[in-house]
Amino acid sequence: MAGYSTRVRSDIARWLQAGLIDAATADALTRDVEVNTRKSLSFGSILAMMAALLFGAAILIFVAANWDAIPRLARVAALFAIILGGYVGGAVLKARDHAAIGEALWIVAAAAFGGSIALIGQMYHLSGDEASALVTWGAGTALAAVALRSNPLTVASVGIADAWLFLKGFGYYSRSAFPHAFVGMAIVLFAVSFWTRSQAARHLIILSLLCYLVLLAGNHATLPVAIPLAIVSAALFAASVFAPEPVDRIVQLGGRLPLHALLGFLTGLAIIQFELADESTYNSGFGIASVVALAGIVAAIVLAGRESRGLRWLAYLGFAFELAMLYVVTLQSMLDTAGFFLAAAVLLGILAIIIIRVEKRMKDPATGGAAA
Amino acid sequence: MMMTGKRLVISALVLALAQIGFLSWIIAGRAAILRSGKEVLLKIEPVDPRDLLRGDYIILGYDISRIPVKMIANIPAGKFSSDDTSIVVRLKKGADGYWTPTTAWFGKAPAPAAADEADIAGHVAEGWDLRGEGMTIAPDYGIERFYLPEGEGMAIQSDMRVRPFAIRLALANDGTAQIKALVDGDKTLFEEPLY
Repeated sequence: MAGYSTRVRSDIARWLQAGLIDAATADALTRDVEVNTRKSLSFGSILAMMAALLFGAAILIFVAANWDAIPRLARVAALFAIILGGYVGGAVLKARDHAAIGEALWIVAAAAFGGSIALIGQMYHLSGDEASALVTWGAGTALAAVALRSNPLTVASVGIADAWLFLKGFGYYSRSAFPHAFVGMAIVLFAVSFWTRSQAARHLIILSLLCYLVLLAGNHATLPVAIPLAIVSAALFAASVFAPEPVDRIVQLGGRLPLHALLGFLTGLAIIQFELADESTYNSGFGIASVVALAGIVAAIVLAGRESRGLRWLAYLGFAFELAMLYVVTLQSMLDTAGFFLAAAVLLGILAIIIIRVEKRMKDPATGGAAA
Repeated sequence: MMMTGKRLVISALVLALAQIGFLSWIIAGRAAILRSGKEVLLKIEPVDPRDLLRGDYIILGYDISRIPVKMIANIPAGKFSSDDTSIVVRLKKGADGYWTPTTAWFGKAPAPAAADEADIAGHVAEGWDLRGEGMTIAPDYGIERFYLPEGEGMAIQSDMRVRPFAIRLALANDGTAQIKALVDGDKTLFEEPLY
């Protein structure tokens, strides 16, 4: 990354000398490059964050061990000291331009807050389930993200909300209600992510919402969830492809909304197909859903495939899934094992030909455009 | 746009104090129940041994963990199954020193408890069957776990299977229950300090 920014800076200097741009533009460009390089993850900041996560895990496991050699009031005091020292120390370091270490200390402090909740539960034998402790922890972490305007803390609170969703959603506690409140959490955290400028958190929230909808479809009604999901995803895809700039100015996902929308669309249709697969012999619902899915994949590649390699590969993955699905539902009963291998070979061959052709097409005009 | 250094440090300080204050408030509330709550002694029922020990806490079952539907005084006519609601169970001290349930109400108790009685507040999940005489519901009271120092669970687990254990509770005025001690016959095994 540093290599890129140095190169751009020397390019800017050259353009300025050649009279291609004026001094003000050159200055603005240089500043933009600087800001964006600082945002990108460096190796050091990744290591600092990993160290913080390990430290946080150590705190939580230490609490779980319930080691009685240290009086528990001392354990509480130690955790409170880590909370105070982590937040304030992190802020001091961040203010002195050690942003990576500062953010890492904040993560440690947030872990200490979670550890304190667990320790208090242990001290007073509170038997409320872990899910409600997670809610308190997540709320405290989101508050910290807002107060400190921290990207990693925002991602951490989304992660805690996800843990809550899966703990509740997979029925870990037999008699607990379905975690509908996750939608509310997701909306709040999405709003928080704009204030904390956390694009990563927004991506994670959208993926988590998709997981929530899949859980919802599995727990409640499939079609009333899956059909709106596919329609809304298609609409979002259209909006983000035909008006990319205004849409990305609103959601600020770095232009990756089409990718999320395609994933949502394919997920919705997959749910519909699974639901209708059993009745495929006597009504056309499955066939229609399959045609819509395939048409959607082709449309996605035609409309947005050129801009995004990730989107193309997601589309191929969806296409492979559709082929497998069609095969399993329509042909399986007629063929034996040898037939299955033959069919798999043919299907993979078709897939390979299509991917090669599309990739070639996408490449040719693109290189032509750069040359022109 | 960027927060200045001083402001960032101040918001970090306020944040840390807010989180510490919140945690201290929970601790203070629990300590207050331990200090001034009404004390009752409940027999622990033997729980299925496989479920008895999970990590470093034991799961406790009480008499009041199963409440017969006919003990609940205020079930509306024609109600088929329970809502997600709170429940109050009135306990009375028996001749042997252990407290047992006498009546229960969904929501709140209509009258305060007498001197030799105490109310414990619990929670009922949605969907328990309320029809029929023999039905029971299983409220939880937030006192179904007892955390032990690492490695001490097994001994107590095997002891619990041969003789009766009990839990001494402190009950706040609103019925919130707080475990005070694990009792083995006449002997107090773990007495909880206030903090």
